[in-house]
Amino acid sequence: MSLLELPSNRTEGWRWSDLSALPEIVARQPAGTVPEALPWIGCAREGPRLVFIDGKLAADQSNLGTIEIGSVQANPADHALARLVGSEGWKLKLGQDHAPQGLVQIVHVTTGGADHLPAEIELDVDAQASVVETYIGEGWANRLTSIRLSRGARLMLNRRLLSSAGYVSLNDHAVIGEGASLIVATLSAGGADTRMDGQLTLTGDAAFAEFGGALLARGTQRHDANLAVRHEAVGGMSRQVWRSVADDKATCSVAARVEVARGAQKTDGEQSLKGLLLSRTATINAKPELEIFADDVKCAHGATVGELNRDALFYLASRGVAPQEAKALLTQAFVADAIDRIGEEEVRDAFHENAMAWLGGR
Amino acid sequence: MLRIENLHAEIDGKQILNGLTLSVGASEVHAIMGPNGAGKSTLGYVLGGRPGYEVTSGSVVFDGKDLLDMAPDERAAAGLFLGFQYPVEIPGVSNVQFLRTALNAQRRARGEAEISAGDFLRLARAQGEALGVSMDMMKRNVNVGFSGGEKKRNEMVQMGLIDPRLAVLDETDSGLDIDALRIVGDGINRIMRKPDKAVLLITHYQRLLDIVEPDFVHVLAEGRIVRSGGPELAHQLEREGYGAIAA
Ligand SMILES: Nc1ncnc2c1ncn2[C@@H]1O[C@H](COP(=O)(O)OP(=O)(O)OP(=O)(O)O)[C@@H](O)[C@H]1O
Ligand SMILES: [Mg+2]
Repeated sequence: MSLLELPSNRTEGWRWSDLSALPEIVARQPAGTVPEALPWIGCAREGPRLVFIDGKLAADQSNLGTIEIGSVQANPADHALARLVGSEGWKLKLGQDHAPQGLVQIVHVTTGGADHLPAEIELDVDAQASVVETYIGEGWANRLTSIRLSRGARLMLNRRLLSSAGYVSLNDHAVIGEGASLIVATLSAGGADTRMDGQLTLTGDAAFAEFGGALLARGTQRHDANLAVRHEAVGGMSRQVWRSVADDKATCSVAARVEVARGAQKTDGEQSLKGLLLSRTATINAKPELEIFADDVKCAHGATVGELNRDALFYLASRGVAPQEAKALLTQAFVADAIDRIGEEEVRDAFHENAMAWLGGR
Repeated sequence: MLRIENLHAEIDGKQILNGLTLSVGASEVHAIMGPNGAGKSTLGYVLGGRPGYEVTSGSVVFDGKDLLDMAPDERAAAGLFLGFQYPVEIPGVSNVQFLRTALNAQRRARGEAEISAGDFLRLARAQGEALGVSMDMMKRNVNVGFSGGEKKRNEMVQMGLIDPRLAVLDETDSGLDIDALRIVGDGINRIMRKPDKAVLLITHYQRLLDIVEPDFVHVLAEGRIVRSGGPELAHQLEREGYGAIAA
């Protein structure tokens, strides 16, 4: 990977990211060591399970089910990181009315170096799937996912970024058809820096898109989310609910944009970008943007940054809860808005547990 | 059980407690009355260890230990319970989660085993029922959207579960309707009227003292106890007001 060209902070859309660690990671050899226990979520209806180690399928630990490995149609556009993903990846293609047997779980283990992987999810009319991706290990995991949802299709895509160090970059392109629904919820609760890019386009009438998550950062960590939801058809609804938590000298940045094209009447868009500073030296950037070319639309956006409520901290202390646990409990409550968007109980509980573990509560 | 000696405390550099001295023995209920702004809530907060309330001199000994030397959560684990005049709302945290976290934190601090989920729910349901707080309310976020009276009853549910040695109850009776006052008063007697426990009852009204009969009544004015007596002092206050007595 000698051709690593990275954007500088002066490039629009990259000003809050710090990519300076990447060249060194790219030069490293992955160690190949995989933890014995992988973070599978126990659930009533199990579906395909895939393990990627350094971007390569570990066939002996995987059960592909309806998922294929092969050449992937993904459009990296001109994105500096997405360009690197190559063409061989995983594909979830479902025909009309189809669904996998149960929850699709994909664990990405990175063992010190850099790995790149594209993916393609294509759901035909009224097909539905629920996918959980979990990132662990250290190094740089770089992904590009292309999503196409036909009429009435439903996709839930939930991600846990739990890598202990390094970088995780995810790039999503989604096209959402008539009455189709895409819900993406992401939890960043590891030790790595993360960068998320999302481009969702609602091309069919009455489509629904939700893109949100909880970003937890401490030390000098940086999480950076850059999203654009574009409404091109009538009666679409979109939600972007982000909760950022930054401690020490960490930085969380969320730039979320809603575009309403001419003719996309009755659009209902909502952005809620809230930040919680656990220390005065941490930084939270929240940038909601609206670009509206239709007249009959409802778009609400709010961005706030605050600190933990002192009265609530004392109230908890007066009932015997030690400061560390009290902070964790209140911070958990703060990010719950984002995690609670996850529909399946087992998945939601697992995400809450990961958040709580990161926060050091019980 | 509790010995407060010559306590001076300030908030934002403003002196509020001015040499307050008070002793509370096991099995006793002490009522504290006094005009608005006298420092009654301040006394509660200083005992609870609220940040921003600075003790400039004096001492507080609780069960032989220096209370002022302990962190607020350690005071709770040692057996102190503070009933808030204005209970705090905590969005995103349910009463059940709050109570279970509190109970287990105190148990761990005392080296006891955590309570099981089943035992906890049974206990919570029983305390809730005794105080007219339904399980539905217990599942709601802590005090969020509760009426004034509901918040006070919720404080008593917490006290019942935590089962403290010493309760400092700051105007637990204000905001309660007549029936709720009876329920809460009975609750205080049931939970706290025991040989090894004690109560500091901050109130403005005789009504609560008719139910929870105090052994001693004190008048707090301008940051110190200016008068102490038996239950008859409260009746005298009700007749004559603070002016004559605290002057
Ligand atoms: N943060 C603060 N800064 C300055 N003064 C304060 C602060 N908080 C409280 N005080 C003052 O301290 C005094 C005592 O207040 P406190 O709440 O203890 O009174 P109280 O006896 O409980 O009154 P009430 O019967 O109205 O509840 C009041 O004069 C109040 O204005
Ligand atoms: Mg008061």
